[in-house]
Amino acid sequence: MENIKELFEPFNTQYMELYKENWLKVKLESSSDLLDVARVIKNYGIRSIATVSPTDFIEDNIFEMNYFFEDLNTYKNVWLKVDIPREFSECKIDSITPLFAGANWHEREAHSMYGVHFINHPDLSWFIISADYYGKFPFRKGFDWKAHEQNLIENMNTIVDDLYDEHNANDEKFDGSKTILNWGPTHPASGPIRLKVEVDGEEILAIEPDIGYVWRALEHLVEEKDFLGSIVALERICFMDNTNSMICYAQAVEEIAGKEITDFAKMMRVLLGEIGRIVSHLMGIGGFFNTMGLMTLFMWAIDLREYFLDVLENYSGARVATASIEPGGVRYPLNMKTLELLDVAIEEYERTKDDFYNIFLKNPLMKSRATKVGIITKDEVHDFSLCGIVARASGVKTDIRLDEPYAAYDKIDMDYMIEENGAAKNRLDVLFKEIAQSISILKQASSDLRDGIKSQIYNPQKDHLVKIPKKLPAGEAISRVEWSRGELMMHLVTQEKATSPYRLKIKAPSFNHTMILEHLLKGQTLSDIPLVFGSLYICQGDLDR
Amino acid sequence: MLKILDFFDYAKSQSAWMVHFCSGCCSLEMAAAMGPRYDWERYGYLVTPTPRQADVIFITGLVSKKILPALLRTYAQMPEPSYVAAMGACAYDGGPYNDSVAVIKNVTEILPADVFIAGCPPVPEAIITGLDEIKGKIERGEPSAASHGGLWKQMKF
Repeated sequence: MENIKELFEPFNTQYMELYKENWLKVKLESSSDLLDVARVIKNYGIRSIATVSPTDFIEDNIFEMNYFFEDLNTYKNVWLKVDIPREFSECKIDSITPLFAGANWHEREAHSMYGVHFINHPDLSWFIISADYYGKFPFRKGFDWKAHEQNLIENMNTIVDDLYDEHNANDEKFDGSKTILNWGPTHPASGPIRLKVEVDGEEILAIEPDIGYVWRALEHLVEEKDFLGSIVALERICFMDNTNSMICYAQAVEEIAGKEITDFAKMMRVLLGEIGRIVSHLMGIGGFFNTMGLMTLFMWAIDLREYFLDVLENYSGARVATASIEPGGVRYPLNMKTLELLDVAIEEYERTKDDFYNIFLKNPLMKSRATKVGIITKDEVHDFSLCGIVARASGVKTDIRLDEPYAAYDKIDMDYMIEENGAAKNRLDVLFKEIAQSISILKQASSDLRDGIKSQIYNPQKDHLVKIPKKLPAGEAISRVEWSRGELMMHLVTQEKATSPYRLKIKAPSFNHTMILEHLLKGQTLSDIPLVFGSLYICQGDLDR
Repeated sequence: MLKILDFFDYAKSQSAWMVHFCSGCCSLEMAAAMGPRYDWERYGYLVTPTPRQADVIFITGLVSKKILPALLRTYAQMPEPSYVAAMGACAYDGGPYNDSVAVIKNVTEILPADVFIAGCPPVPEAIITGLDEIKGKIERGEPSAASHGGLWKQMKF
């Protein structure tokens, strides 16, 4: 940390302080220093950027830009801040994309939502937002979206006209064997995402993802809800694993409120989080084989998944949208029936795991198909700030549960599940290994809970929730959890006596994973798209938010 | 003659095919309904990747502005009678995204639904019950709601 502090000596800073153990929070005096600072940080060895997030302070008439630089080797990170003016004409800052390739889409997003102009950005076109919001910057405070929504039909026509324009432009641009193919948004393997694939015959020349088909503007939506109501929106970032996203948000709120939750609630969060992870991973491996045209594993995985959903249903009353974690702990007291159902689910896993392994993971056809496509190198992981199973399949040891333990993960015995080559098959291997590890964590957590309840350290009827005040003080916090797909980060800003978040930035893992598709698929053939896409374990929900 | 046509309606109702179209999170529960525990294929329901052979389209939860043209285009490609099932709270009034800047709150005014399936997301049992209602409609030979109404006919897509 001291070494990183020294990096900032040549620059004017408003303040520089330690945040938690692993973060150095620095505010620069002037935005003209940004590019030099970024260069110094990169030369020092911090190569990844998690996200770029503007906060709109309408009263002070400034945007506060937040840059979250991460080092996936030493886990010592830098949180850089700088103010820029808010007026459209002066709202400009240097782009750091030439230095940090991973910032590309994050800057485009900030431009589309807030109108921040990034100087020297390679392609600052509209992103995520639908055509009717082009040039209106919907996330700016003071934007009257209700008035905008009045003219639904005209707005829709704008969107459709935009699509036709694009189509006609493509028609004129290409001839001969070259053309643009749209993969999605209604392709069975794609889900709501559109890849504009420029092909010459079978060969892929370029890919440009068009995202925003499940854009719900969650970051804007939570500003309209209160702190508790926000969990309803935030658990829906992605339904495949909905518990961990609530943990992330709840931690941020607790930090600003200055409350510590009970040990029992922490262990419950581990338990629920790991169930969420298994449920999601099972869909992930199902999706992987689905894209290769094999439905059997998908069906088997869904069958096994039901047993874990039973546990969630018994605990919270809902199978998928559990709303089971809220600021202050977990929402419901624990009854022992939930743990019994968990035992049943684990038993079912133990019964079927060998079949899964022998039939699918040793499958020679899958091996020959998936070992040579979609190879991601270690350097790409660092440059594009990849995380989760994608990073670990390339041999990068990153796992927030171990790097920066939250909830009760410091009491859990676990390890980094890594593979070396970074091909599509390795990502599948990591998924399988992680399911096994999650089962082991579940066993540890459930035995800890049982022991604690038996020896009356935990009171399952009372300990689950600590009261969090409805109004929070002014402050800001970042919170990170290891989601099933990778690092989920939330940056929460509140104002004095606020009842709802002032700004919540969600950094979701699929965003960066989709960014790298372009590099992975160039020069490959069309038939590789579903496989590589499926192996990256992308969920459109957290891609668009 | 009438008897034979009745038989065709009956046969059609026993093999309702769905378009594989997902626009929101409810599609996850559709996958569960497809799976071994609930197994909707027992009742003759099947997912097909092409709209041209399908009888039913699901509005799977939220419909964002960007995907609405795709939904309408997919629906327009289905042969008559083509039924619409609206899943979840979002398809009814925007549900948890009612205050969102990007989600259409009145999808069923644009594309009227024949059946609403309640829940957020609906449980697989509810999805199968909803499909049963559509089954009844096909059996009775009723036209779909979207064929005689809805804003979608005035819109570009």
